[in-house]
Amino acid sequence: MEIEGKFSGEVFRKEYLYPKLRACIENDSKLVIVLDGTAGYGTSFLEEAFGGLIRHNNLTHAEIMSHISVVSEEQPYLVDDINDYLADAEITED
Amino acid sequence: MKKRYKERGYINWIKSRNIKAAKRKRTHFKRLEARKLASVKKARAQRYKNFTKVIAPHNLSLLNNTESVNFFIAELKSAYDNNEKTLVVLNQVDEIDYGSIVVLLSVMIKFKSKGLDFDGTLPENKQAKKKLINSGFFSNLFKHHDENDYYEISPENGGNICTHAQKKVDSELGDRLIQQASKFIWGNEKRCPGVQRTLIELMQNTNNHADAEKLGEKHWWLSVSFDEVNHSVSFAFVDFGVGIFENLKNPTQKNMLKNLTEKLSELFHFNDNAELLSMILSGQLHKTVTGKKYRGKGLPGVAQACERKQIRNLRFITNDVSADVNKGLFELLEMPFHGTFVYWELDATNENFEY
Repeated sequence: MEIEGKFSGEVFRKEYLYPKLRACIENDSKLVIVLDGTAGYGTSFLEEAFGGLIRHNNLTHAEIMSHISVVSEEQPYLVDDINDYLADAEITED
Repeated sequence: MKKRYKERGYINWIKSRNIKAAKRKRTHFKRLEARKLASVKKARAQRYKNFTKVIAPHNLSLLNNTESVNFFIAELKSAYDNNEKTLVVLNQVDEIDYGSIVVLLSVMIKFKSKGLDFDGTLPENKQAKKKLINSGFFSNLFKHHDENDYYEISPENGGNICTHAQKKVDSELGDRLIQQASKFIWGNEKRCPGVQRTLIELMQNTNNHADAEKLGEKHWWLSVSFDEVNHSVSFAFVDFGVGIFENLKNPTQKNMLKNLTEKLSELFHFNDNAELLSMILSGQLHKTVTGKKYRGKGLPGVAQACERKQIRNLRFITNDVSADVNKGLFELLEMPFHGTFVYWELDATNENFEY
């Protein structure tokens, strides 16, 4: 949530992730998201950024999975976490 | 005459006279000192006549003497709630840890920002006294503090403990503190994503849950201490909100689920809050009072940072539970802690990345 700081997952999704993913969906291309090189992530940042694509931006799980590739060499478990957040968001919407 | 001065009897008499004079002088100065001390004690007793005296235990270690320190904190809380002028008596403290220091600092600021008189005595033990002075406790004791959203406390003449307090999530502060910590441990700045995650999760926890009625109402307090002996950095985080279990128990305006812990205990079979905390940290119940499956991953995320060796010596004290996550020990407390306290360390064995 934006009240959770100026670098929240919501802000990231609204200003960066969703616009770029939307463009990739329209072009039928893939968005590669590299998670390395940052100070670190809170779980709610990643959940809000990715799960929010389904809950707030009304994208489907299939659309997202076909058009993103999440990469992390430093913290490979983050990729699994994001997949879980997307799966949970889909279940919640259902 | 010359011969008389050299006589043994005369010499011995002079020696004896000098010894007696020196003894009288010592006795006189001792009496003067005693009178001075008595006068200071009387003045102090007079000054603190209407103060509530809260006496700290000898072992003021929140991690190792939790029950006694919780009792001490409860007495301070009671004085605060009753708007009493308070004197914290620290004379007999032999040991003090960073957890207790962050609590003392936050309590001091709370009293002062409420306009309540608050004072403290020095520990007689040199090491305890040095630790407390290095935290900035005494240099801030005589300063005026208003009710602010942000505090930063460090000793005026340098020291190895710095304390921050805010009401919101501040990832930039986390990044800055990690840079300082990593420079201390490795000699240059590094990224420690596990520490950053831990800080963000705990700040978020305070922001979202510490106050039962309103988001972002309670301060969190974070003390960062640089341990030159063990070459490690200690982080002590505290908020004086409702605590993890009281938050689950009490319905708020935000969530309409009542008696959630009772319902959870039917579904997930735990006997007490110690078992419940273990299940929360292991991710078995990633559901918060909102009942939303996608929430509640913060605390498991902190425990995972410990499993992945991104942080070490992770400890929780909240409501009636004390947990040593590294050792897998979860214990019930008779004297609860009203809030959430988390402690962890960073040293050269923990995961880090170059910038």
